[in-house]
Amino acid sequence: MTAPTPSRTYDLSFARYVYDHIDGGQRLKLCMQCGACSGSCPIGTQMDHGPRKLFMMIRAGMKEAVLTSNTIWNCVSCYNCVVRCPRQVPITYILHDLSALAIEEGYAEAKKADNARFAKAFWWSATVFGRTDERLVTARYYFSSGLGEGIKKGMANQAIALAMVKTKRMHLGMPHKVKGVGELKAIVAKAAEIQARHGKEG
Amino acid sequence: MTRTLTYYPGCSSQASALHLDRSLRAILPVLGVELRDIEDWNCCGASVGHIEGGHLANAALSARNLANARAQGPEDVITPCAACYLNTHYVNESLRADAGLKADLNEALGAVGKSYDGSLHVRHVCEMLATDVGLEAIKAKVTKPLAGLKVAGYVGCQTVRPFADTERGNHFDRYDDPSFLDNFSRACGAEAVPFKRKTACCGGSISVMSPDKTLHLIKEILEEAKAAGADVISTPCPLCQTNVEMYQPMINQKFGTDFAIPVVFYSQLMAVAFGLDPIKDAALGMNIIKAPALAGR
Ligand code: SF4
Ligand code: SF4
Repeated sequence: MTAPTPSRTYDLSFARYVYDHIDGGQRLKLCMQCGACSGSCPIGTQMDHGPRKLFMMIRAGMKEAVLTSNTIWNCVSCYNCVVRCPRQVPITYILHDLSALAIEEGYAEAKKADNARFAKAFWWSATVFGRTDERLVTARYYFSSGLGEGIKKGMANQAIALAMVKTKRMHLGMPHKVKGVGELKAIVAKAAEIQARHGKEG
Repeated sequence: MTRTLTYYPGCSSQASALHLDRSLRAILPVLGVELRDIEDWNCCGASVGHIEGGHLANAALSARNLANARAQGPEDVITPCAACYLNTHYVNESLRADAGLKADLNEALGAVGKSYDGSLHVRHVCEMLATDVGLEAIKAKVTKPLAGLKVAGYVGCQTVRPFADTERGNHFDRYDDPSFLDNFSRACGAEAVPFKRKTACCGGSISVMSPDKTLHLIKEILEEAKAAGADVISTPCPLCQTNVEMYQPMINQKFGTDFAIPVVFYSQLMAVAFGLDPIKDAALGMNIIKAPALAGR
C-alpha cells in the first residue's frame, strides 16, 4: 500500500485512499461524529485525538496529522468502541490498518512508537520461528531503543522475569518452532506480494 | 457423549499461560471433550502482527492454521486464547464474506500447495463450554465444591468483544455484562462476588510494552476485586491473567497499595472442583501469587 502523498494539508485523495484500501474504510463514511467511541475508550486520556476526531481528520484529508497521531499507537484493542458504535464502524480494525500504513510510509513518529518497535520484534519471532517466543520478543523490544535503555528496562522487570522462571512460565532453551517454517515464510511472502500488488492497483 | 474438536492452543500455551493449557487438557476430557491439536499450528499475529506484517500477511498466519485444521477434518476449531480467537475467527469470517479476500488468501496458501474453503467454525472454549457442554454437565462433575470461595469474575475484553453478542459469536453472552464466567464459578460451588469491571481492559499488549501507560487500568480492576472481598480473581484470558498478576508488585510500588490477589483461570477452578490433582492438573504451582484458599482443598 502507498497512499498518495499530499501537496496540501487537506488532501481528499487520502480520504478516498482510506475508504478503498483500509479494512472497513467504507464504513467510515457513515461516522456521525457522535463520540461514543472516544467516550468509551479506556485509554482516551493518553490519546492526542481519539477515534472520533481522527475519523473527521481522515475525512478532511489530513494525511500527515492522521499518520503521525498517537491515537493509532495507544489503542489497547479492547473493542469497546466497536460494539458501541451506532454506525457499525469497525473502529479498532481501522486504527490497526492505519498503524500499518504509517509504518509502511516511513513516518518517523510511527517508527519510534513503542508499539511499532514491539511489533517489529514480534513479527520477527512469528515469522522466523512461527511462534511467539515471549522471552526473545521482550528482550529484542527492550533493546530496540538502545543498549542503555534495554538494560534499564530489563532491570525494572527483573523481579517479574524471575517470578516467571520460578513458576516455569518462561520458556528456557531453544525457541519453540513450527516444523513448516519454510512453508509459513512462503505463504507470508506471497501475501505481502499480493498486498503490494493491490496497493499499486489502487 | 464424547466429542472431538480441533484445538488451537496458541503461543502463550507454551510459556506464560502453560497453566491454562494444562488445566484445560485436564478438565475437558472429564466433560467429554477430546482435543486434537491443529497440526503444526503457528502464531495468530496477536494484536500487533498487522503493524509490521501488514493486513494481508497477518491474515495469512491465520489462513495457514485454518488450512491445516480443515485438512484434519470438519470439526469446529476451539481456542482458549482471546487473541487467537479474535484473529482466527475474524479471518475465517472475513474470508467467507469477502470473495476477494478468500481469493487472495488462497493465492498465498497456494504458494505451498495449500488451500482453505472457509467451511470451519472457530469458537472460544468458553462459548463451547457454555453452549455445548452446559452448566448442568459441569455441575455434575463437581466432587469438591469450592464452598466459601469468593471469586471475582474478570472476563477481560476480547473474549466477548466484538463477537459475543452477535450471530457470529453464537450469541453466547453479552459483550458488556457477560455472565458465563460467574456461572462457571457458581457451578464449581464458589461464590461469584459482584464485579462491575468484568470486561474492563487490562491494557493488553500495551501493558507488556509500556506498563506506565496502563498500570492504572489494572489497579482499578484489583481495587474493585479487593473491595468486593474476593479471595481470587478468575479469568479466561491468558494475557489478562499474566498482566493482572505479574504487575501487582509494580502497582504497589507506584501507587502505595498492598495488593496480593491470586489470579487464576476458570479451568484451574474447575480442575480443583472436579477433584483433580491441584499441581499436576490444576497447575496451581504456576501462579505467581499462590492461592491457598484454593490449593488447600
Ligand atoms: S462511535 Fe462510530 S459513529 Fe460515533 S463517532 Fe465513533 S466511529 Fe463515528
Ligand atoms: S479499541 Fe482502541 S480506540 Fe477502541 S475503545 Fe479500545 S482502546 Fe479505545
